[in-house]
Amino acid sequence: MTEPLLEIRDLQIHFFTDNGIIKGVDGVNLTIERGKTLCLVGESGCGKSVTSRAILKIIHRPGKIVGGQILYHRRQPNGTTQVTDIVPMNPKGKEIRDIRGKEISMIFQEPMSSLSVMYTVGNQIMESIRLHEKVSKQEARNRAIELLRLVEIPRPERLIDEYPFRLSGGMRQRVMIAMALSCNPTLLIADEPTTALDVTTQAEILKLMRSLQEKYGMAMLFITHDLGVVAEIADDVAVMYLGRIVEQCDVDTLFHDPKHPYTQALLRSIPRIAADRQTLDPIAGMIPSPYRRPSGCTFHPRCTQRMAHCHLVEPAITPLSENHQVRCLLYEAQPAPTLEAETAQHG
Amino acid sequence: MVEQVANGVETLQNSEHLLEVRDLKMHFPIRRGIFAQVVGHVKAVDGVSFTIKRGETLGLVGESGCGKSTVGRCIVRAYDVSGGEMLFQQANGHVADLANLSGDRLRLLRKDIRMIFQDPYSSLNPRMTVFDNVSEALQVSGKMSRNEMRDRVAYLLQRVGLRPECMTRYPHAFSGGERQRIVIARALVTNPRLIIADEAVSGLDVSIRAQILNLLEELQAEFQLTYLFISHDLSVIRHICDRVAVMYVGKLVETASIDDLYRSPKHPYTEALLASVPITDPRQRKERVRVRLKGEVADPSNPPSGCYFHPRCPYAQEQCEKLEPDLIPVKGSSSQRLAACHYADELTLNGVIRDAEIEAQV
Repeated sequence: MTEPLLEIRDLQIHFFTDNGIIKGVDGVNLTIERGKTLCLVGESGCGKSVTSRAILKIIHRPGKIVGGQILYHRRQPNGTTQVTDIVPMNPKGKEIRDIRGKEISMIFQEPMSSLSVMYTVGNQIMESIRLHEKVSKQEARNRAIELLRLVEIPRPERLIDEYPFRLSGGMRQRVMIAMALSCNPTLLIADEPTTALDVTTQAEILKLMRSLQEKYGMAMLFITHDLGVVAEIADDVAVMYLGRIVEQCDVDTLFHDPKHPYTQALLRSIPRIAADRQTLDPIAGMIPSPYRRPSGCTFHPRCTQRMAHCHLVEPAITPLSENHQVRCLLYEAQPAPTLEAETAQHG
Repeated sequence: MVEQVANGVETLQNSEHLLEVRDLKMHFPIRRGIFAQVVGHVKAVDGVSFTIKRGETLGLVGESGCGKSTVGRCIVRAYDVSGGEMLFQQANGHVADLANLSGDRLRLLRKDIRMIFQDPYSSLNPRMTVFDNVSEALQVSGKMSRNEMRDRVAYLLQRVGLRPECMTRYPHAFSGGERQRIVIARALVTNPRLIIADEAVSGLDVSIRAQILNLLEELQAEFQLTYLFISHDLSVIRHICDRVAVMYVGKLVETASIDDLYRSPKHPYTEALLASVPITDPRQRKERVRVRLKGEVADPSNPPSGCYFHPRCPYAQEQCEKLEPDLIPVKGSSSQRLAACHYADELTLNGVIRDAEIEAQV
C-alpha cells in the first residue's frame, strides 16, 4: 500500500484584483504519494502553477490562500510520521523555510530567470546547501561538484565556476535540478521544466528526472500542459480546468479510459505523431475569462455531452474506482451496478 | 543544376514549383572591438536548397538555433541574403529571384508572400485597432478605398472565425487564440500565394492549437494557399505538412514526404529527433527504442569538420569526420527523397510509425 506524502484538501486561492475577485484555485483536492510522480495537466490559466506554489507558500499579492489545508506528512528521525498543515504557516517564517528548498524544492520553466546572472553556478548551489546544513565551504563545494556530476554535466570541476549565461538551456535546467536536489528533497515540484527546451533536450531531461527519482525515491509533482510529457513521466494524473480538478486517475486510465468530457476532448485535440493523419477535433470556444466563470459545471459551455442541468448544478467529486475520480454530472448518482462494473474493469 | 538564361530571366525546374530556393546562404558577421572589425561569421543558413510546389505544405523542422526561422525571414526578404537564389513564380507566370530584388519590384511581390509569427502578443501593434492592423498592407498600397477595405477586413475576420464588429477594438481585448486569428486575417488580406508560418501554433494551448491548425487547413483549400510551415514540433508537422525538410546547423540534412520520413528516416539526426518526441501513450513508454544524442547542437560560427552532425552521431565513422556529405537522392526512392549522410543507403533507421500500428488503428 502506498503512503501519502502531501494531501491538499479543498484548497482555495483567490486573487483580489481591482476588477473583482478571481477564484484562481477553487477547491482542489490532491494526494501526492511518496516516491510517485503526479502530473498536473491543464491549459494556461487553469491554476496549476498557483496550486503548486501554494505548497511552498510562495503566493504573492493579490493572491491569497483563503481556505483549505495542505497536509505534509513529515517523516521524523525516529521513523514516525508527523502531519503538519502548511497553509497557516507564515510565508517568511522559520517553519516553512526549513521545508522550502530542503524537503520540498522546486524547479521552474525558464532556468535563466531562476538562476542569478551575478553568481557562478557553484556559488548558487553551495548557497542552497549551506542555507540548510552546517557544512564548510569546501565540503559544500565538493557536494556541488558531486551534484553536477549526478545530473550528467560533463566536467563538473570546470563548470562549477562558470556563470549561467555561458550554459545552454538544457545545461541550465540540469543546474536547476542539481540545486533542487542539493538537500535530498522528499518532494520535487517541477513547473513546466521542459517546455522551453528542444525535443532532444527534453527527452534527456525527462530521462534524467526519472532515473534520479528511482535513485532517491523522491516524489514529484510535475506540472505540464503537454500530454506527451505526461505519457512519458507520470504515475498519476490530475486534469485541471478553471481552478478545479475535473479528473484524477492513473496514467494508463487517463489515456485509455478517460471519463470527463474535457479530458476526452483534450485527447482528441492533440496531433499524434504515430497515428494516421486525421482532422483534429478541437474543443469549441475558448477558456472563459476568469472574471466570468460559467455557472454550474464550469466546462458546460464547451462540453459536447452537455445535459439540461449542467449549467445549474455544480458537480461533486465522484469516485469511479479506487484510483479514479471525476467531477462531472454524467457520472454522479449513477446506479451502483455501473460503479461496480468500473471497479471490476480496473481490477 | 542552376539553369540561367543569359539575359537574367530565370526559369524554374518545374512549372509546378511555386518557389525554388537554391543554395541559400545567410551569414551574419560577428563584430568585435571599437572599429567593429568582422572577426567571423555565424553561418545561420549555409547552402540550403529546396522547392515548394503550388498548393502544398512544406514543413521545415529543426531544433532552436538551426536557422529555420532565418530561412523564412530570407524568403520574405527581412534580410539581405548573403548568397543563393530564391526563384518565385508570380501569378502571371513570370519568375523573379527574390534574392536580388529591391525597391518597387520587391514591394510588389511582398503582397504575394506573407508571414505568420509565433507570438500573437508581439506581432500585432497594440496601438492600432484590429482594422488598422489587418488592413495595414492595403493602406500602404493605397489602391483601395476605405469602404472596400472595410468590406474586405470584415469578410476575412468572419472567415477566420471572428465577428466583423471586432475590427474597431484593440488587440489587448483578445485572447491568444483570437489574436492568432487576427494575425492570419492580416496575412490573407493581400491575397497572398505563399504563407510562411513561423511556429504559428507553438504558443497556443492544446485546445486552441487544434482550432488554428484546422483553420489553416480550411483556408489552404479555400484560397489555394501554399505554406512553408516552420516548427520544432514534429507532431504538428506530421499533422499539417505534405513534405518535410529537416535542418541541422544551417543545412538541410533530409527532405522527404511525411509518410516516408516518419516511417523510415534516412538521416541519423532525423531518427534521433523522432525518437525524442514523447508519444501520447503510456503503454509505449517501455517499448520504444531511444537513440540518445551525445553533446549539444554545434556552434554555427564554428561548426565541426566534415558532417556537422558527426560528433553526436551514434553511427559516425572515420569518413564522417573528414568529408562533408551532400544532400543527394536516396537510392531506390523518388527524387524527392534526399539525405545528406554518407551511409543513408546502408543504415536502417527507426521511424515512429510502425506498420503494425497503422493496421491496429484502422
